[in-house]
Amino acid sequence: MKTLLRQHRYALAVTLRRLAAQPFSSLANLLVIALALSLPLLGASLLVSVEPVARQLSVTPELTVFLKTDAAGNLAEQIAKRIRNEYADQTGAVRIMTKERALTELRANPAWDQALKVLPGNPLPDAVIVTLTAGDDLALRADRLAQSWRKWAGVDLVQLDSAWVQRLEALLRFARIGLMLLALSVALVVLATVFNTVRMQALSQREEIGVARLVGATEAFVRRPFLYLGAMTCTLAALISIGVARLALIPLNSAVSSLARSYDADFMLMLPAAPALLIAVIAVAALGALSARWSVQRNTRF
Amino acid sequence: MIEFKHVFKSYGQGRNILSDLTFRVKAGEFIFVAGPSGAGKSTLLKMIGGLEPSSRGSIQVNGQRLDALSARARPYLRRAVGVILQDTHLLYDRSAIDNVLLPLAVAGLAPDLSRARARAALEKVGLSSKEEMNPIELSGGEQQRLAIARAIVNRPAILIADEPTANLDRVTAHKIMSVFRDFNRVGVTTLIASHDEALMGEYATRSFRIEPGKFTDHAAIDEAGR
Repeated sequence: MKTLLRQHRYALAVTLRRLAAQPFSSLANLLVIALALSLPLLGASLLVSVEPVARQLSVTPELTVFLKTDAAGNLAEQIAKRIRNEYADQTGAVRIMTKERALTELRANPAWDQALKVLPGNPLPDAVIVTLTAGDDLALRADRLAQSWRKWAGVDLVQLDSAWVQRLEALLRFARIGLMLLALSVALVVLATVFNTVRMQALSQREEIGVARLVGATEAFVRRPFLYLGAMTCTLAALISIGVARLALIPLNSAVSSLARSYDADFMLMLPAAPALLIAVIAVAALGALSARWSVQRNTRF
Repeated sequence: MIEFKHVFKSYGQGRNILSDLTFRVKAGEFIFVAGPSGAGKSTLLKMIGGLEPSSRGSIQVNGQRLDALSARARPYLRRAVGVILQDTHLLYDRSAIDNVLLPLAVAGLAPDLSRARARAALEKVGLSSKEEMNPIELSGGEQQRLAIARAIVNRPAILIADEPTANLDRVTAHKIMSVFRDFNRVGVTTLIASHDEALMGEYATRSFRIEPGKFTDHAAIDEAGR
């Protein structure tokens, strides 16, 4: 066990010596990998920042049926009853919002109170608010129901309150797939960069490898410094990429928060949580070691 | 210690470089391998060191049959055989002592013990004052001695050297040979391939002569003569 630990310590020292021997090339490799990694990291930051917002907004999907302002007083009751009877399998709660109640609720908001006072009467219509049952085809189903109810007598407008949330969720699904593809492409870039770095190192260390074999080095002993090289390069690059992403988020957040403030909202882009970042760094290091092993196996057959 | 039984060696489909070699070397012998260039002296030494496989026949070194040895086990055999090739294969990106430390790092020895052993090996070959020098700064004879120090630092049971005195003047060649003799005296089985038969005659106790298609073991001849 002690022997193995000493051999690992030796491999680590050899790796650091080789990295230090070619500082510019080592730094260039680090930067290439770091910049490549920072792209999916920024994408992930965007996703993890937007997803909670979408979850918060993703209230139970509702359709609001607005009646014409001159509709009969009991029309709302009739429409509610009809929906309960004919669409029981697709709907949940059906409640009526009378024009009087709507006005009272609106007046409770000081921003609207003054404006409503100057109006001669109540401009609001009666409305029926229908909660739809959840399902994958919700957006499509809601559209169909809205089109059908819009044709009913006395109905002025049918509005799907959560349509934009559905679209946002679809957009996020698309972004998640896009991010996965981007991560895959970056993994290939990392794989190729590490493979080539190790290949160049193996060729330049040909003499040392030959001598090590001559004096009884096992293949594991020969490979070990290269595996460390791959893993260390990728770990450092991953840490640099986190720094780069953090820096990039500063101007992005400044722009995003100005936009959010104009909607009276508070929104900031943030990096994924520390455990997720740690897992990502470990995964990138493992990818580097794997690529190095593949390269050293192919390039030290002499 | 070393046993060859009907060993043949050829490269590809070509003719046999070594044909039907059968001999046995006991522990502690000092053997001189002679023969013209291209006769297969280096190949024979490399086969003993596990650096070249035989084409046919069986080779036993230090109690292990090389043809039955797995690729995983082969490096451990190499640690028991100190090899000095014609080209010294020194590493010029590090100091003399770091060259000697390499086999000890391979074996996983503790750093303080390694350094002490490397210094002792350099002292044995008369290079203790030059341990921090780069091999490029050493003379041909010193480089050869450094290669010997690297080969013996792991305390091998067998030492093989291919033309260790080639291109060296007479005085330096004798110095090198005395180093080999000193190791042989403490029980290290030594095999040296060389063109310099006069020099070898002064040190070796037994000699093999390899000529194209012919192998002569002079100890066996002497035995038969008696």
